[in-house]
Amino acid sequence: MGNRTPSQTIGPFFHVGLKWEDGEKVQFAGSGDRVVLTGCVYDGAGTAIADALVETWQADPSGKVPGAGAAARAYGYSRAMTASDGRYTIETLMPGACTGPGGEKYAPQLNVTIFARGLLKAVRTRVFLAAADAVKDDPLARAAGPRVNTLFASRDSKAPEVWRWDVRLQGKDETAFIEF
Amino acid sequence: MSARDRMEIDPPYDFPGYKSTALRAPKQPLIRVAPHPLEIAGPSFSRSFAKESEADLTTWGKSAPLGEKIILVGRVLDEDGKPVRNSLLELWQCNSSGRYAHPVDQHNAPLDPNFLGQGKVLTGDDGQYRFVTIKPGAYPWRNHPWAWRPAHIHLSLFGNAYSQRIITQMFFPADPLLPIDPIFNSVPDPAARQRMVCTLDLEQGIEEEALGYRFDIVLRGANATPMGV
Repeated sequence: MGNRTPSQTIGPFFHVGLKWEDGEKVQFAGSGDRVVLTGCVYDGAGTAIADALVETWQADPSGKVPGAGAAARAYGYSRAMTASDGRYTIETLMPGACTGPGGEKYAPQLNVTIFARGLLKAVRTRVFLAAADAVKDDPLARAAGPRVNTLFASRDSKAPEVWRWDVRLQGKDETAFIEF
Repeated sequence: MSARDRMEIDPPYDFPGYKSTALRAPKQPLIRVAPHPLEIAGPSFSRSFAKESEADLTTWGKSAPLGEKIILVGRVLDEDGKPVRNSLLELWQCNSSGRYAHPVDQHNAPLDPNFLGQGKVLTGDDGQYRFVTIKPGAYPWRNHPWAWRPAHIHLSLFGNAYSQRIITQMFFPADPLLPIDPIFNSVPDPAARQRMVCTLDLEQGIEEEALGYRFDIVLRGANATPMGV
């Protein structure tokens, strides 16, 4: 129908209205394996972006869509604001693998939306919390070709709950962004 | 609704008139994929996530904030005209003199101790919402010589599906700064631009107290997918 309301930039002052208490801590009804996802968001000159909003949405540890729960805030969703060094950190539980309506096999991943000053509309992508061989049949891995390499979080060898993933909005190793 | 139509409604990433896009706009093509099962679903917020008091931005301080009190009403709909119920709508804005209650805003205009500029609601059964606030001021920014942002209110919406998530800005009718604002004009289609402008709706106001404005927001269909996927 083409009557949608257009997107506009989040601007630099969103902290006024979008701060959630413990927004970077994902809530679930059940338990699972703890994951800390952290990294920095960079612009095309390699400068850290101190005014980005990073949101994630994910399956629960069993691979199901998190339902409405007793918690006031939605289960399975996080909101983090980057610090002056561009860093975001999200604490969550390992999402389960899940299957799409046509039998597609989705590897464990977080759906990611990033807003920032200078982005007139959000960028969206998915980050994999899995090794490359566990992702090769994932629909996005197939569609992205070699650019899938920008979508792997890397597991810290000393702290196995920590996964690191940087986002590059532009330039060399630009993160693969998606539309769906 | 095809991906191409969506591109024409939303601004491009790279828009030279808005200088901050230069180093932040992705240059590689977006990868078109079928939606993940989670992207068709969406997070679910309980009604207690937004307190009733958070719909009134004028009662936060010890006394009323300075400025022109307004009542902002509207409905959140999808592209098929169906109401988007029980969805989170968050809002933020500067005060009546054009200053945000934010440490990065060093614009030489007074802060108002009685105005924080944040609100949130969950939409009702008809997709409706209602805020009480003050009309925000215009303010200068450093994008280009004599750059001033027209009065605007930032709106963040979740819809009922992750694919519907959007952040936009609402402007006021007949603002002389609209034609020179690169952010407003980054939307290529003039008709789509006008869908970011509220309309005066006197009867939604409060007689002898507040002006009423109406702003309906249309989100993409919850099941819309890019063409060819």
